[in-house]
Amino acid sequence: MHLLDVRQARVLHLAAAVGTGCLLTLMLLLNSELARHGGALFASWTAHGTGALVAIALLLLLATRSGAPGQSFRYSAAPAPWWAYLGGMTGAVNVMLSSTAVNIGLALTGTQAVALSTQMLFSLAADRWGLLGLPRQRLAWRDLWPVLLIVTGSAIIIFAGRDP
Amino acid sequence: MILALTFAAMSGILVGLNRQINGRLGLSTSPMFASFTNHLVGFVLLSLAGAAIGGLLSGDALNSPWYAYLGGPIGVIFVATSSWLIPRIGAVQTTMLMISGQMLSGVALDIARDAPGSLWARLLGVALIMTGILMTRKRAR
Repeated sequence: MHLLDVRQARVLHLAAAVGTGCLLTLMLLLNSELARHGGALFASWTAHGTGALVAIALLLLLATRSGAPGQSFRYSAAPAPWWAYLGGMTGAVNVMLSSTAVNIGLALTGTQAVALSTQMLFSLAADRWGLLGLPRQRLAWRDLWPVLLIVTGSAIIIFAGRDP
Repeated sequence: MILALTFAAMSGILVGLNRQINGRLGLSTSPMFASFTNHLVGFVLLSLAGAAIGGLLSGDALNSPWYAYLGGPIGVIFVATSSWLIPRIGAVQTTMLMISGQMLSGVALDIARDAPGSLWARLLGVALIMTGILMTRKRAR
């Protein structure tokens, strides 16, 4: 972080976030292809299993390269609270929830827009109050403009840019 | 309808919770370790759910193409990157930039696959999103 000036860091963060969002499209495409054959539960179970294997391989690779894996990222001296290990639970619950929703025929265009909106609202609350032990971010009114533009743009694409 | 909207609303909150919790673990360990833990815990819970409900292996997964199995490894990168970003640029920026990337690539994919839909609506959506991205303010960190 200190090696980069603010502008370089900014471009890196932007590119990482937008690029990862693009990866998400690819990931959902592949997972739904797997779900089409093996079912939603099987697809998510497999994705988590293969993901855990790949992640441990990457951790070992990082460890051999730089001693302690990723310790340069650490800037909170406090050890992680117990609940920080339960992130995977929310993912698993979400899978169960969405496969139930699909099974009872609730795949509507509007649901994606609602999910994006609550995701956005949650992030606003998370930054405002520094939820779950992450740093608080000062939010000004002008920070809401990009949120509004991106949510509106997404809604237009979801509702008007696609035929149901 | 109400049920559908409730499910969708909860799903968005779960995604946000997931990023925040993994981001916290990443702070004390590393983003890649957080991604590993996330996948391992999810795998264990989904195994239990599969054992309880059954039907985990009832589909014909053998007929799916090999590349369909790459979703998991891509998810590892996804969780690690978001855990790395969220303490640095905050949840709002992480969320809206990732949604932007998702929407922009979704439009590109729809156009590439010649999916039916209004081109003008897509272009207007893309323009609004690009403007939004350019308007994000850099954090004083």
